[in-house]
Amino acid sequence: VIHTPIGGNGAERADVCVIGSGGGGAVAAAELASAGRSVVVLEQGPFWTSADFTQREDQMLPRLFEEAGMRQTVDGGVSILQGRSVGGSTVHNLCYAFRTPEPILRMWRDEHGLASLTPESLEPSFRRVEAGLRVKPIREDEVNTLNRRIRSGAEKLGYSGFVTHHNREGCVKSGYCILGCSYDAKQSMLVTYVPRAHAAGARIFPQVRADRIEAEGGRVRRVLASSLDRDGQVRGSIEVTAPVVVLAAGAVNSPDLLLRSGIANSSGQVGRNLHLHPSVMVAGFWDEPIHAYRGIPQSYYVDEFIDLEREPHTGYVLMPIAGFPVLTAVNTPGFGRAHFQQMRDFSKMGGLLVLLHDRSAGSVENGSSSGRPRIEYALDPADRRQLGRGVRHCAQLLFAAGARRVVVPYLPEPVVLGPGDDLTSLRDEIDVGQAPIASTHPQSTCRMGGDPARAVVNDHGECFDVAGLFVADMSVFPTSLGAPPQITTAALADRTAHHILQRWSELSA
Amino acid sequence: LRWAGCTAALTTLAQLHPLTAFGQTPVSGDAPAARFFDANQTEMLTQIMERIVDSGLPDAPRVRDTQAVASVDSLCRGLDPSISAPLPLLLGAFEYAPCVLDFTFTRFSRMSDVQKDASLEAWRTSRLPLRRLAFLGVRNLCFFGWYAQPETWPLIGYRGPLIDGGVS
Repeated sequence: VIHTPIGGNGAERADVCVIGSGGGGAVAAAELASAGRSVVVLEQGPFWTSADFTQREDQMLPRLFEEAGMRQTVDGGVSILQGRSVGGSTVHNLCYAFRTPEPILRMWRDEHGLASLTPESLEPSFRRVEAGLRVKPIREDEVNTLNRRIRSGAEKLGYSGFVTHHNREGCVKSGYCILGCSYDAKQSMLVTYVPRAHAAGARIFPQVRADRIEAEGGRVRRVLASSLDRDGQVRGSIEVTAPVVVLAAGAVNSPDLLLRSGIANSSGQVGRNLHLHPSVMVAGFWDEPIHAYRGIPQSYYVDEFIDLEREPHTGYVLMPIAGFPVLTAVNTPGFGRAHFQQMRDFSKMGGLLVLLHDRSAGSVENGSSSGRPRIEYALDPADRRQLGRGVRHCAQLLFAAGARRVVVPYLPEPVVLGPGDDLTSLRDEIDVGQAPIASTHPQSTCRMGGDPARAVVNDHGECFDVAGLFVADMSVFPTSLGAPPQITTAALADRTAHHILQRWSELSA
Repeated sequence: LRWAGCTAALTTLAQLHPLTAFGQTPVSGDAPAARFFDANQTEMLTQIMERIVDSGLPDAPRVRDTQAVASVDSLCRGLDPSISAPLPLLLGAFEYAPCVLDFTFTRFSRMSDVQKDASLEAWRTSRLPLRRLAFLGVRNLCFFGWYAQPETWPLIGYRGPLIDGGVS
């Protein structure tokens, strides 16, 4: 269903050129193509299908992730996992399906001049994307051993939490969501919006990297791109001329492309305000094997430590997590026999993530080569304290859930705790470099707002500086979202697509 | 794995001690062919990996008997050159760091296992952020290669992929 990558030079004309086929780009492409617009989608990653998803980390990490899963901040302090294939990060995400929290929308309206972002105005988009992704509650029998134990611990401690919604259909509970679903049960963009876009006539080009967006007279004109082989080597060039361009390459690559293009940055905000939802995993070990990597990885969600109504800028959530051997080994400190002492009990291990609703703001700048932006991020003192408290609560909850040993992954020396150990001895703060920190939710680097001096795009995702150039990915979030971003990303992209359709005669003139 | 940040330091090291001077026993003829790393670099990576993944279990497979190093090689071949290009220099740095930085006057590859562990520990706990970062990168590559091997999964109780007949 996908166009063969171009080996030589080529030119395309379209009504709309969409850059990126992930959680935002695929939605925009499908909505626009379904309405009759001619759409070209450029995706720098390859096209893989469930037949390629081998459930092996050595094969799937290089296939599905930017920089083979090794993307990091410039100081190495935060690992950033982002998708790099048709379907983007939705191919490897864990399917939490939350609407944008109302207090966050209110804060965006009140503090960022986005008066039109009301629950009512977003309702049609939420409904469409929830239907498109087949969002539904996770059934009780789908909650796996680890998540059941975490829920039990949360209930003992009186923590607020709930079983979430997800976007899976016919799940076989293999647990390999993060390596791509071999059963096409995960309703990622790969099996929902991308086929829908293609069926509606969108021309989808995998392994084509957008190198530059060109504008003339304040209007977007064309996209210059390179076709790549599977090793990422340039094999040809393609020029797409279109009156509308939807940039949806993610909150790292989108600002990188705008900066390389030298456009849309009169505010100086392109690449700024990077939020990451930084997370730290604390490992718990039970007496008996729980094989936490089997079943739906994340179904329970602890929201005891985030109160967006009272404080929309801060807080953290706790989420169960289980990894496969490579990811677990990489996230376990040390080496040699001390490291193996933890890995030996892999089957008895289950993790709990503290995921921070961060106020800290980093940046994305052009790096040494195209596709390798320079990412900087530091935690401010308040976020360092939040992360420290969150780790302590993870340890407390793991013990309440029956764990017999908890390993807090401080660097360079982890702390191993047993039941009854004094948790107040744990660090009050965690800074970058003091524990393995990971991010799967980069956001806010082309932020939306009402003031062109403080924002890159307006409330419909259109760049203030360049007519016809829209951004439709997590980079438009004005602040950290404080919740899993899949539905918000898709809904805002849907909203942007419908806005484009409403203004089509003007935009295409 | 911010390899690029280490390039300047590693280049300096490599100029002092060209990689061609590794001079260790090449990989045996039965070992998987490595195409990103040359034979000496492959041997160096093998020796580092042997210590990084040491379990102390007598029945654990030997790194040399698995495809672990070949997996790392394959990964590196697919990486953006700006990430992978400094890796051979980094391996050279591991070989000679004991002489240059830790004053042990012995190359890594000529050390006993205990000495090798001490050398790696010096990398892990270095006061130099770049050195710690370089260690983390090599350590993670070793774990990537090692724990991707099905022979290692019984050691940790991992049941393996379901599509290959693993137990649910």
